[in-house]
Amino acid sequence: MSSPSHTPPRTGQLKPKTDWSSVVLAPVHFIMGLADRPLRLLQKRAGIGGMAAFFLAPNMLIFGVFVLLPIIINLIYSMTGGSALFLSERSFVGTDQYAKLFDCKSYLDPMSCQEDAFWTAVGNTFWFVVLQVTLLILFSLITALILNRELMARSFWRAVFFFPVLLSPVVVGLIWKWILQRQGLLNFALYPMGFEPYTWLSDRTFAFAAAVGVSIWAHMGFYTLILLAGLQAIPKDLYEAAEMDGTKPARIFWRITLPLLMPNLLVVVVLALIRAVQVFDEVFVLTGGGPGTSTLFLTQYIYETGFVSQPRNAGLAAAASILMGLVLVVLTLVQLGIGRKNENKGKR
Amino acid sequence: MGSITLTNIQKSYGAVHVLHDINLAINEGEFIVFVGPSGCGKSTLLRVIAGLEKVTGGELSINGERVNDVSAADRGLAMVFQSYALYPHMTVRQNLAFGLENAGMPKAEITQRIGEAARMLEIEQYMDRRPGQLSGGQRQRVAIGRAIVRRPTAFLLDEPLSNLDAELRVSTRAEIAALHARLRSTMIYVTHDQVEAMTLANRIVVMRAGRIEQVGTPLDLYNQPANRFVAGFIGAPHMNFIEGALESSNGTHMLRTAQGDVLHLPQSVAPGAPITVGLRPQHISLSNDQSGFAAQVQLVEALGSETVIHASAFGTKLLAIVPGQRRISTGDTIYLSYANAPLHLFDQSGLRIATVQTEDGHSPTFV
Repeated sequence: MSSPSHTPPRTGQLKPKTDWSSVVLAPVHFIMGLADRPLRLLQKRAGIGGMAAFFLAPNMLIFGVFVLLPIIINLIYSMTGGSALFLSERSFVGTDQYAKLFDCKSYLDPMSCQEDAFWTAVGNTFWFVVLQVTLLILFSLITALILNRELMARSFWRAVFFFPVLLSPVVVGLIWKWILQRQGLLNFALYPMGFEPYTWLSDRTFAFAAAVGVSIWAHMGFYTLILLAGLQAIPKDLYEAAEMDGTKPARIFWRITLPLLMPNLLVVVVLALIRAVQVFDEVFVLTGGGPGTSTLFLTQYIYETGFVSQPRNAGLAAAASILMGLVLVVLTLVQLGIGRKNENKGKR
Repeated sequence: MGSITLTNIQKSYGAVHVLHDINLAINEGEFIVFVGPSGCGKSTLLRVIAGLEKVTGGELSINGERVNDVSAADRGLAMVFQSYALYPHMTVRQNLAFGLENAGMPKAEITQRIGEAARMLEIEQYMDRRPGQLSGGQRQRVAIGRAIVRRPTAFLLDEPLSNLDAELRVSTRAEIAALHARLRSTMIYVTHDQVEAMTLANRIVVMRAGRIEQVGTPLDLYNQPANRFVAGFIGAPHMNFIEGALESSNGTHMLRTAQGDVLHLPQSVAPGAPITVGLRPQHISLSNDQSGFAAQVQLVEALGSETVIHASAFGTKLLAIVPGQRRISTGDTIYLSYANAPLHLFDQSGLRIATVQTEDGHSPTFV
């Protein structure tokens, strides 16, 4: 047997490579180099904790001026009276504005209240929230379930349901106003079928239903997207295991899909509640709060009390907005609590 | 217990053919392992049997009955998924009971079956925990338990050990073998790990690119691989392959490699044909003198009980496993021998022509 011969591996000459990333990043490195020296000096003086404060300061300043300060000013306004704009010209009234808001013989009968428009708005907002959130979640869930299936042109349908979210609320209000007004698209479509033109938005019940419906149409895509993401995060093999176990589709939904979607569903419910309580722009453009006060919601009441009514009552509007803010704080805390719970579940 | 027969089974996704004319008869109580590299179609074949994928062509029978159009639930099979597929929001007890409740089984029987399975798998203390509170091994047992309580015609196991660490994999492998011996049920097991296949299977089905390459007992496949692919896939580390052309000189036949090295072969192989010789690392030994062939050591892996030598010879890389601990270093020239070793000869298409047993490393004879 002959022994195998060994040839040493050839070493080819390597062509030097251009490192493009270093060329592209050169200006960035240059600027960072300029900032490097002063930052080092600052860190020497302020320490690491001080540096954190230094970097946070711009954001905190903006947050302070545009969020924190208005809240404090609003709180102060709610304790003043009169129609003057500047605080220095307003008189301190303590909790009078709150007392005025809560001055009612029966909270279930707005007309028995001193500030009946406030309680009408609270009642309308309550029913709006109940109806809108319930139907919104229901439709979003059904849409997400359908869009999660193997559909023809699935991406197209997903886009179709999401597009209204991209529209400005004013545009949403206008589009539906053009559809629902007396000379609108709906009457135009119904007329050839023998229906007389109807002033839909002058009908109290229909106007309220339209406010709920339009709001659902405008926001459903967003919640559908969250639920769709939740559905897609459920491992496919759980459904296959259920299929092998002979589970019926309804039981799969109630026993597997719904429990596993619950964290997303809770987030969606709280987010929808927060947004529903704040309802204003699209409904204001659509109905202007009417007919009468049938679609007058809390935000519109605050806006009209503070800026439209004569004389303007900024104190009362501020008190109402503080109360609404409290409701939103509670809802936000619930949402944060749910988020934290989900996070902990994820860690386990 | 159940027998499963696959006749000309085909599966396509549009224009992509994933399974091509699969023919296989699985006997009652048999432990069959589908093995092959990633993408060879072994999991698809298992899913076709389970009823989770529809067959595109061919016939699938369970206990002699055609089940092509029978739903997964009605095939009487139970599957253990690679990810275990345990319902995370249910306790172990609820996971085990879920399938039985679907079938409308009386509560007393469900409790009895769950109790039996829990005792068998030693998971009684975890019954009220959720899957997230269990270790990988415990989850794996629960997944097997969920299959056991259904008392299926056959168990389908899709790479059930792949998520476990090496140590747990070895112990769980033994437990699955013991479970099969105890239940005597038909089990179809998918893995890409040929050691799992060799240790568990009554018969192994080696697959490549949607086709069955060979079906046989583990030792059949090891000793008489049908082709170069099977020879390379079965056995760890993989078989060494030396390529060359056959030559005749003075009545003796030899393989001459591109580098001019020579390996002696029996006469009956036609001269002139390019062939590949397969030699398992375990069948190569170290020569104490300078007989055998010279090889340059590239890497030495000292495992204590044996030494794995990576060397170059015949113009290719060779692996040799020699028993015990050896004082060999990278760069050394050593002499290796294939005396008394089976040589597998493969033709140009990869089919095995013959397996010959060498006597002294120079004059191989057919076996």
